[in-house]
Amino acid sequence: MREVGRPLPFAPAARAVFDLSLDGMVFSRRSLLMALLVAAPVAFAVLYRVLAVTHGTPPLGAADLYALMVAIYWVRNVLPLAALFYATSLIADEVEGRTLTYLLTRPLTRASIFAGKFAAYLATTLTLALPAAVVTFFLLMTAPGAPALAAAATDLLRDVGVMLLALVAYGALFGLMGVLLKRPVIPGLLFLYGWELLANLPGYLPRLTLTAWLRSLIRHRPAEQGLAGLFQQVLPGDQALAVLLAVSLLLLGASAWIFSRREYVLEQ
Amino acid sequence: MTRSRFVLFASMALVVVGMAVGLGALWMSPARAAVGPLAGEALILPGDARFVMGFDVKRFTASPFYARFAAEGGMKPEALQQLEEKTGLSPARDIDHLVIAGSPGGRKGAPGLAIAFGRFDLYKLGRTLETDGKATGTSHEGVTVYAFGDGIGRREGHRDGEKQGGLAVAFLDDRTLVFGAEDQVLAAVGSRSRNETPLKSNVALMALVEKVRPGSTFWMVGDQSLLAGLPTSLPAPGASADGTATMTLPALTGLTVTGDLDPQVSLAITGEAKDAIAAKNLADVVRGLVALASLQAQQKPELQQLASAISVATEENRVLVAARIPYEMLEALQPKKPRAAEAPSPKAPSIR
Repeated sequence: MREVGRPLPFAPAARAVFDLSLDGMVFSRRSLLMALLVAAPVAFAVLYRVLAVTHGTPPLGAADLYALMVAIYWVRNVLPLAALFYATSLIADEVEGRTLTYLLTRPLTRASIFAGKFAAYLATTLTLALPAAVVTFFLLMTAPGAPALAAAATDLLRDVGVMLLALVAYGALFGLMGVLLKRPVIPGLLFLYGWELLANLPGYLPRLTLTAWLRSLIRHRPAEQGLAGLFQQVLPGDQALAVLLAVSLLLLGASAWIFSRREYVLEQ
Repeated sequence: MTRSRFVLFASMALVVVGMAVGLGALWMSPARAAVGPLAGEALILPGDARFVMGFDVKRFTASPFYARFAAEGGMKPEALQQLEEKTGLSPARDIDHLVIAGSPGGRKGAPGLAIAFGRFDLYKLGRTLETDGKATGTSHEGVTVYAFGDGIGRREGHRDGEKQGGLAVAFLDDRTLVFGAEDQVLAAVGSRSRNETPLKSNVALMALVEKVRPGSTFWMVGDQSLLAGLPTSLPAPGASADGTATMTLPALTGLTVTGDLDPQVSLAITGEAKDAIAAKNLADVVRGLVALASLQAQQKPELQQLASAISVATEENRVLVAARIPYEMLEALQPKKPRAAEAPSPKAPSIR
């Protein structure tokens, strides 16, 4: 029998928080908006197929369109945005809604609360993003003129893996911003559309961004204009995987540690 | 089960099914390659080849590229053109895939040995070749080899160095044929009957072939020896006419090209340099050339698009060049025909 006053073990506690948070996250207005944003390529793919039938093959190939969707739309833009809006609010929403007290007064460690909420964020965003990627892949790769499905199948596995990694890495970073800052969205946007542009510069600067490591893991290299087209570097794949996993673990550890020690004063 | 869990499981089930279908397609694909995109049967091609290239002939002939440029010389692989002329085979109807291995400038009139996969009516083809007097058929290791011109006559009594003969074609079965210089065709037929795979002994080339992504309309790999003939320097910008100021190009150790032709010409070129610094230098040279093309845009607006259609990246010791060229741009880049040739004579029928 558990001793009264001692917190629950980490795993059951995190699972309980996960269950509690999942409902709130999946069925929310934020998820509806994100679902529309993340699944937009499915609509583009359907439109592509319709145009291919009614107006002949569109000027952009199906494989090229899929490459654009993965490399530019999801990995560079929409998944980091989804991570920003979900992960920064893991704790911030509880603070703003003044419900954090109810969580903190339960016999749960703060690290398990953070872990449960992060797992719920990951489950929600993966639920939105991965089916969209799979459906888009099949819609485009079975279009006339697309490469053989068998030849592209390995790309699907790789893309799904990279999307998962993008959500983990950006989620860890924005989770940390969420526990550190009161208003993390603006700094998050500045990071995404300011700092991350360093990925397009020559030299070692791209190594200081998450997007350069992530795009090195995918095989799609859509032609880009401007700095990205001129200086784009592809970093070694094994290093990319190691760096992203290490950075994610470090950021998650730091977030849990800071959340465990921080005093939250709720506004009355 | 709560609503959110149901959504979660349904979503993951869709992903798992999708991935299983993808893996199933990969597993069950009849085109599963022995080495990269290279079919196992193509490994009988010569081991001393300096390049190997592959064509998905079905997709090539169905592409807008073929429709627009097939009539123009040099736009079709030489081996395919010769095969068409010599045997009367129709690439669009009879051939699915073509793999060519060889050395540039190695043989006059036969740049390499080609192996074609498709559907061949052996009886009809054999009869056509022999009754038209185009070729003479002889049996070699159980396979009929048709030699064109004086190939057979020349085969006998030549010293090894001169033993080149003419062109020949051998139908290995009703789905595979080998076409090229006669001695190479005979060697390939011999390799097949002995279950040998000479091309696999070319480790450098095979390492490059393994990296080629299957599914492209065409692909080509070349090793260091193929690239030895490339220029090692370029005139530096602003150099005087005597050509004293030049920039040295880093040497390439390998080259891989893959491409598609529908709905636009898409090329992915990977050049392997000696090290990361050489790759970076080479990438800078390519970027410089693209930038120069941009500067020319005032005179030729189509070059503006060309510059933005090409991207250059480096990955360790590799330089990756990706190009997406719409057909309109390709046509604009074609040399303009002289006006006199363009104007139809009053009697000439108009071409639509």
